[in-house]
Amino acid sequence: MINTWYLYLFFAAALVFAGLLGLLAKRNLIKLFIAIEVISKGVSLLLLGTGFAKGNILTAQALVVTFIVVEVSLVATALALIINVYRHTKCLDIRKLTKLKG
Amino acid sequence: MIVQTALLIGLVLFSVLAILLNDLLRSAVSLAVASLLLGIIFFRMNAPYAGVFEISVVAGLITVLFILTIALTKTDDEVRESRLVNWVFPLAFVAFIVIDALVMKSLLGKVPALASGAEPGTFGDVLWKGRTLDLVGQIAVILAGVFSVLALFRKRDKHD
Repeated sequence: MINTWYLYLFFAAALVFAGLLGLLAKRNLIKLFIAIEVISKGVSLLLLGTGFAKGNILTAQALVVTFIVVEVSLVATALALIINVYRHTKCLDIRKLTKLKG
Repeated sequence: MIVQTALLIGLVLFSVLAILLNDLLRSAVSLAVASLLLGIIFFRMNAPYAGVFEISVVAGLITVLFILTIALTKTDDEVRESRLVNWVFPLAFVAFIVIDALVMKSLLGKVPALASGAEPGTFGDVLWKGRTLDLVGQIAVILAGVFSVLALFRKRDKHD
């Protein structure tokens, strides 16, 4: 019988690592943001998995709901920024943003 | 337990696909599928509110925002990704999975967590009475998001 907490921690760590690898390897701005989303999935799985294993599911749920609302706000702002970057550079390549000129 | 493990494996697979696929639209859709699986996992953990939020907001709203952005930023010349990614990513990921499986068991005792105990009341009680400050923070964050989007999309003045 595998410990449930172990299972959730294991998969949450895998998700966070996959997101970090994506952030390091990819060059498209939208792809980088999808990697950040994957990391946030890992974090919410970690929160709820720990709450489930330790018998604090209601507190964990409240935290996850708060986290999801913050995430949506972050996504809206970041995607607006990406659209603005695209209007300036006509490209989504992260390497084009190395010069901080308007 | 077996169903839960299968769902978790599917979640990781679709998340990795979302990062690895070259077509942006396909990766946005696989991210949505991953969110859907995470929502089902939440439902099976007796966390219906978190599940509903995950499915409706993350799988629904965020996917729509992603697809909208992809449609608005359509370019002829695609961003050329590094060729190393195709074989370095799976290699590093499999190596991490092996290390994760070996190390996580010994780390389990050291990870700090809230002491287990029976929680009184319902989800509403915990959210409204226990975490009131979080809700105030949430409202502040939503307002900050709205104002930043408004600031980013405002029309230029003649003086600019």
